[in-house]
Amino acid sequence: MKPSPAVIVLESVSKRYGSKRVIHDLSFTVENGEIVGFLGPNGAGKTTTIRMIAGVTAATSGRVTVAGYDMATQNADAARQIGYLPEHPPLYDTLDVSAYLRFVAKVKGVPRTAIRTELERVTAACRLEAVFRYEVYKLSRGYRQRLGLAQALLGKPEVLLLDEPTAGLDPGQIQETREIIRSFGEDHAVLLSTHILAEATLICRRVAIINHGRLLAIDSPNGLQRVVERTNRVTLQVTAPAQALREELLSVQGVTALEIRASPGGHPVLSVECQVDAREGVEAAIARAVAGRWELHRLERQQPTLENVFIKYVKETPVDGETA
Amino acid sequence: MSGMLAVYQKELSTYFRSPIAYFVVAVFLLGAGYFFLYNIFLTGDATMAVTFQNMGVLLLTLIPVVSMRLFSAEYNAHTMELLLALPLKPWQIVLGKYFGAVTMLLLMTGGTLIDLVPLYLFGNPETTTIVSGYVGFVLLGMACLAVGQFFSALTQNQIVAALITAAVLLGFWFIGHLQSFQTSYALRSLFGYLSFALHFADFIQGLVRSEGVIFYLVVCATALTLNASYLQWRR
Repeated sequence: MKPSPAVIVLESVSKRYGSKRVIHDLSFTVENGEIVGFLGPNGAGKTTTIRMIAGVTAATSGRVTVAGYDMATQNADAARQIGYLPEHPPLYDTLDVSAYLRFVAKVKGVPRTAIRTELERVTAACRLEAVFRYEVYKLSRGYRQRLGLAQALLGKPEVLLLDEPTAGLDPGQIQETREIIRSFGEDHAVLLSTHILAEATLICRRVAIINHGRLLAIDSPNGLQRVVERTNRVTLQVTAPAQALREELLSVQGVTALEIRASPGGHPVLSVECQVDAREGVEAAIARAVAGRWELHRLERQQPTLENVFIKYVKETPVDGETA
Repeated sequence: MSGMLAVYQKELSTYFRSPIAYFVVAVFLLGAGYFFLYNIFLTGDATMAVTFQNMGVLLLTLIPVVSMRLFSAEYNAHTMELLLALPLKPWQIVLGKYFGAVTMLLLMTGGTLIDLVPLYLFGNPETTTIVSGYVGFVLLGMACLAVGQFFSALTQNQIVAALITAAVLLGFWFIGHLQSFQTSYALRSLFGYLSFALHFADFIQGLVRSEGVIFYLVVCATALTLNASYLQWRR
């Protein structure tokens, strides 16, 4: 198997703005050939972290290396290996699309003879052919976002840093953008921050959850989901007397808590939500206990989604990051 | 070097695609043309001395309009994020932008050369005085631009950048007047040395003194170094 060395490495990175510490001792890596999703609520420190990796701002302590270059001392060398799309696409409104891309290509050191082919490559990848001669201020939000992505792809960087790359795009454009990122991520390192949890599940090999500047978890979407399976829920609908049903269900091994709600309109069917542990076959035990005595209409084990995982981690973080 | 050149070319493209550059050049050329005609008809002398003096003051009012956007506009458009993430060192960004602005200054200055046509057709002006006046004018403009570019890097607000630049440039222009209120020789010399106007007056008289040239170049170097250091510090 091809070795996949870590291309982005953060070692105990912290960042302060004045007396306020916004990033606390952050360590993680992104390897070649993987897409890592960066999840966190607003103000969690995602953008600051991405800006540190991009070399836009320096870490107060700790070490950031990209493609083997230390961002504190070899910033300019590392920059040639980085494609960066900030939260707001960094575009010059008065230039036209071709002049803008040409400028970025020149600064990235694309040889003069290769600029034309390179522009054609990123223009085709981001579907910008129709607006190639347009001034940037005339572009729609979707095109602006794609132009931002195109400039990041220029110069064939080893690393792609994307801060909310699909924000403001329509569903078709989101699909296309994800495809671009996915294909780039096959043999490069990609770190992308997003609010869309489904996006992280769809395209990321690993997901990092961050809140109050601290890394709470980093694992594959499935791995993260397994962690919260202990808080799994089983929902059922039963026609039964509430008190007897409660006693019966609580006697089932694996059921830790339950909530019974009467159906609206005096209907005899009760809705029950059981908190169960991670043991296999809990739902079968519940079914046996209930179906023998009463009429069971529905039984369903809810799979934990990344959304549940995210909410669990974020809720568990203390509001004051300094005390955690 | 190629990075700085790319920034320079981008700056020039930006100038010529925005109305503000045309506006500034037009106002400057109209103003300079008016002062030239007024002075020629008033004095009847084939000289540019008073016109240079007027052009200097006009330049002080227009430089903040040119320089205010140099960094402030980058902050507002979020493009500073791009410049800092690209393989560019702070000095490359600073010099690329600065040389772009200086090119605009040279174009403005070049536009006034048309005034020399009637001067040479109908009079007998002193060529060396005119050349030294132009050298002084360009050096003055370069110093003003470097100061303006530095203040533009300090704020996101273009108006604030323009106002601070105008205040500082006027301060440097009029500081020579404080000489009259000083009894201390050291202070009188200092105020005289710091005055943009007094050094410029030498050039207008036809004196290209190394002291004047060095003064303007030191102002440029100091402002540009502060500018690059500030960008590095912001990181």
